[in-house]
Amino acid sequence: MNQQELDNRLSQIKNKPFGSELRAELLTTIERKSDKRIFLLCEAENAYAVNKFLFEDIGARFCTVTGIDSDKCFELLYHYSYDPTGCVITVKTFIRNRQAPAIESITPFLPAAEWIEREIHDILGIDFRNHPNLKRLILADDWPVGVYPLRKDVKK
Amino acid sequence: MNWKIWSLKKSPWVFHVNAGACNNCDIEIVDLLTPKFDVERFGVKLVGSPRHADALLVTGVGTRQAAKRVQEAYRQTPKPCVVFAIGACACGTGIFNSGYHVVGPIDKIIKEIDPNAIIAYVPGCPPKPEAMISGIVKALSAL
Repeated sequence: MNQQELDNRLSQIKNKPFGSELRAELLTTIERKSDKRIFLLCEAENAYAVNKFLFEDIGARFCTVTGIDSDKCFELLYHYSYDPTGCVITVKTFIRNRQAPAIESITPFLPAAEWIEREIHDILGIDFRNHPNLKRLILADDWPVGVYPLRKDVKK
Repeated sequence: MNWKIWSLKKSPWVFHVNAGACNNCDIEIVDLLTPKFDVERFGVKLVGSPRHADALLVTGVGTRQAAKRVQEAYRQTPKPCVVFAIGACACGTGIFNSGYHVVGPIDKIIKEIDPNAIIAYVPGCPPKPEAMISGIVKALSAL
């Protein structure tokens, strides 16, 4: 599929249903920065479906996840590369609940995401639901439970 | 000069401790030990256990997880021994200064258990093998 067809398929998921678990507004916006850089903005509850669509239907290659503590919410950026055209697609997800941030884990269908989700759980305190092995990964053994070092309200 | 110091200076066997380094200093230490630099002319030899070592080559910033292990390696090293803080991070935490995981620098971690420890600093990011040789020679001639 060339870049044009990829664009078309991405814009389809914004408007059209796919699969059984589809909601009306799966994506909030598609931001097209250039031919090779596309951002798909969505809310946390839709992230699982969007990721599954990108990985299984489009066949994009999963790169990594970035976690950001924004001012009013947490952002998770799932980065994918669509290698036939060299296009980098980023799913930008907003987790609005700051008190108990949680999102559906993508590890059940994408095992490569296991460690990065564990890392984000360690340092940002985001709960990945249905993650098979959500143990501490990178923090020290004696690090206090419930302190998430890369949150903005934590002081050293 | 007592015989312990004499034998330490004659042939300082080194043990390499990584205390949270990015591996850059570690690669330079491996370079240092190659025949090109031939540190065995100073009697420097890499050993596999701190119990056989006269000197510790400590790289890295000294993370919360690694600090206790560095102290344990130092405890097991026969005294007198020299601790070499290799690289900018080990000397003064460098760019990781205010990181949440940092408890270093290395001299602070070592002095927690032995205030009289002999510590030599080799700054650089990473230090060249020549700089490490210079540091080793300077430290040993100061003993």
